[in-house]
Amino acid sequence: MAAPAPPAFIHAVEHSGIGEWMRSNVLAMPWVNAAHVLCVTLVFGSVLVVDLRLLGLLDRGRTVTGISREMLRLTWIAFAGAAVSGALFFSANATTYWFNTAFRFKMLAIVLAGINMLVFQTATFRSVAAWDRNTPPRAAKIAGALSILIWVSVIVLGRVIGFTKSVDITVPDNVDFDFSAGP
Amino acid sequence: MSLLEIATSIDSTSLSTTLKNISWIVPLVQCVHILMVGVVFVSILMISLRLLGGARTDEPLPQVWQRFAPFFWTGLALMIVTGTLLVIAEPVREFMTLSFRLKMLALAICIVTAAVFGQRMRGASRVTGINAPLPAGLRAVAVATLVLWVAIIFLGRAIAYDDSVWGKWSPAVLQRGA
Repeated sequence: MAAPAPPAFIHAVEHSGIGEWMRSNVLAMPWVNAAHVLCVTLVFGSVLVVDLRLLGLLDRGRTVTGISREMLRLTWIAFAGAAVSGALFFSANATTYWFNTAFRFKMLAIVLAGINMLVFQTATFRSVAAWDRNTPPRAAKIAGALSILIWVSVIVLGRVIGFTKSVDITVPDNVDFDFSAGP
Repeated sequence: MSLLEIATSIDSTSLSTTLKNISWIVPLVQCVHILMVGVVFVSILMISLRLLGGARTDEPLPQVWQRFAPFFWTGLALMIVTGTLLVIAEPVREFMTLSFRLKMLALAICIVTAAVFGQRMRGASRVTGINAPLPAGLRAVAVATLVLWVAIIFLGRAIAYDDSVWGKWSPAVLQRGA
C-alpha cells in the first residue's frame, strides 16, 4: 500500500539542520523531552491555580486580577518553553507527527485553550471589578472548568502520541526517521 | 537478593501481568502521574517563590503554605500511587536505571524537607507577619528544593533514555554487558 506523502514543508522541516541535529545527537532527545515535560507540568499547574480561583475553590479572598497577573507570567514562559521543545521534537520526526491523529487533536486542543482564554479575557474579564474579591460569575466558572478540561486533554493526547506514533502510519520508504523517543 | 532479582520477582506477580496485559492502563496511569507532578511542582514553586520574594509577598508565609499544602500532599499521594503502579508494571525497566534510583533519592529528600517545613509552619507564630524576617537558611532550602524538583522531573523522563544520558554509569548498560 502506498503511504501518503507529507506536504513539502513537513518534509523540509524534517530534513532541516535542526531536524538532523535532533536525530543525530544522542543527548538531544532526552534533554528536549525532559524540558518539554517540565514546561508542560508548569503550564498545567499554573493555569490550574487561576482556574481553581475562578471556580472559587482556591485563594478566596485574594483578587482574581492579582492571581492572574502573577500566574500568567509563569504560564507564558512555560508555554514558550513547551512550544520550543515541542517544535524541536516535531522537527526530528515531522512526518510521523504530521500523520498522527493524537498529535492533530493535541494541536486542536491547544487552539481551543487559546480561544477559551481569549473569550474569557475579552468578554467575561471586563466586569472583573465587580467580582475581583468574590466568587466569580457563572461565565468565569465555565471558563475555568473548560480550561482544566482542555489542558488535561492536551496532556493526555501528548501521552497518547508517545504510544501511537510508531504504529499509526505506514512510513514512506524514502523518509528517514527514528522512534528513539520511547513512551 | 539483588535489585534485579527483586525486580524480576515483582515482574512475575499477577498484578504486574494485569497492568501489562491491559494496554490502556499504563498510558492512563502515566497521564495521572504527569498531572499530579504538575500539581505538586507548582505548589512547591508557589511556596518557594514566596520564600524568595517572587510571589504572594502580600500574604504571610504560613498562610501560603496552608493554601498549597493540601494540594501538595494530595498530589504527592496520587503521584506515589500512580508511580508505584508504573514500577509494578515495568519493574526491571525502572530499577535497572540510574535515573530512577537518583529520582527516588531526590524524592525522599524533598518529602522529608516538606514534612519538616510543614511542621515548622504549623507552629510558626514568629513568622506570621507579612514583613517578619524569615529564619536564616530558608531561602537556601527553597532554592535547593526547586532544583531537586526540576531534577526529579528530568530524571523521570531520563528513565526512558538511561544509557544515552548516563553512558557506562547506567546499570542497564552494565546488565547488558554482563
